[in-house]
Amino acid sequence: MSLDMTVTQPQARLATARDYVELMKPRIMMLVVFTALAGLIAAIGVTGQGINPVLASVAVLAVALGSGAAGAINMWYDSDIDAVMVRTSTRPIPSGAVPRSEALAMGLIMSALSVLLMWIASNVLAAGLLALSIVYYGWFYTMVLKRRTAQNIVIGGAAGAFPPVIGWAAVTGTTPLDAWILFAIIFFWTPPHFWALSLVAHKEYEKAGVPMLPVTNGAKSTRLHILLYTILLAPIGLAPLATGLGGWLYGGVGALLTVAFLYFAVKVFRSQAGEAEAGDPERKLAMSMFAFSILYLFGLFAALIVEHGFGLYYPLGGI
Amino acid sequence: MSEPVSQSEPDAADVLKAQKRRNVWLAWALVAFVVIVGVTTAVRIQQTDFSGGDKLYFSGYLDEAAKDQRDREAVERARAAQAEVDAPEPVVEEAEDE
Repeated sequence: MSLDMTVTQPQARLATARDYVELMKPRIMMLVVFTALAGLIAAIGVTGQGINPVLASVAVLAVALGSGAAGAINMWYDSDIDAVMVRTSTRPIPSGAVPRSEALAMGLIMSALSVLLMWIASNVLAAGLLALSIVYYGWFYTMVLKRRTAQNIVIGGAAGAFPPVIGWAAVTGTTPLDAWILFAIIFFWTPPHFWALSLVAHKEYEKAGVPMLPVTNGAKSTRLHILLYTILLAPIGLAPLATGLGGWLYGGVGALLTVAFLYFAVKVFRSQAGEAEAGDPERKLAMSMFAFSILYLFGLFAALIVEHGFGLYYPLGGI
Repeated sequence: MSEPVSQSEPDAADVLKAQKRRNVWLAWALVAFVVIVGVTTAVRIQQTDFSGGDKLYFSGYLDEAAKDQRDREAVERARAAQAEVDAPEPVVEEAEDE
């Protein structure tokens, strides 16, 4: 027997339905759908305008399809760097299950179908915003920003911030300040969320040549950026209280989550997370912050859904 | 020494089977899309008041108010033109010399 027979290249395997679902980045899709639903329900609660449940469901489905389409386009373009990183090497394209051309075709076809569905279920504004968010993520973030600048996550964060605005526009045909506040919450949440993860995975990004902040500016600068963005996010996360979008429940949940998020940011800032000499506790701390950031966003948007969707909205100060 | 890992290409029959399975999924997805579009259109039609200015889908104008204004002006112009046509001819009284 000879060692020459040892496989070094990813072995081609037959694609399953799960591979095609994986192409759509289902975890991101869930968060996108959830925030879009929150925007949609908040719009109904705030404006009093209604939307047929069937049309609302189709609009949410369109957002999900749009998110999946952008994910497939992202995987198509990034398959070369996905193959280099251990975390992403098992994805459908680098593992040899799905050909690149199929992923691209799937992304493009689903993009068109999702925008079309959104249009017929709601209005041209919501459809236009959905198209814009797909282009923003699939082209601007993936092909322009990601490999060129350490600010990729900051600028690219807008792509994931569109869903609540789309949900709002689907109901009212407009995008008032409240919708853009929800946009701002996700926009300013994205950098500390991703940078917490990149503190742990920075060696992989470096190997793949992706200029994430810890790769270009180092761990210390990244921890400072995480803290600054979390401080910036704190008032924005509570801004719905000022406009009346959030009531008592949102205020309570928001205050608790904001304090906890700031606590994590300070703790990570004071730690050695991301440094070469960092140990397992630092790694766990960064991952805890990453996990908590998801809980933070989920908590805020869940509070809005409960307040406006279940009749539990009690405005602060009885406005 | 590590054990060799076999790198056999997937069997042609398996590939065909997988392709067939994918095609069936695609067909179902297409059927679902058609059903969703049909149901959505039916709901939209039920909700639409065709007697007024309600629009079922995008009318081709991003600014609906501007389009309405243009429509109103066109109607006004048409009415004015019609009124001109309908106006009675001025009666020219012939001077009686006698």
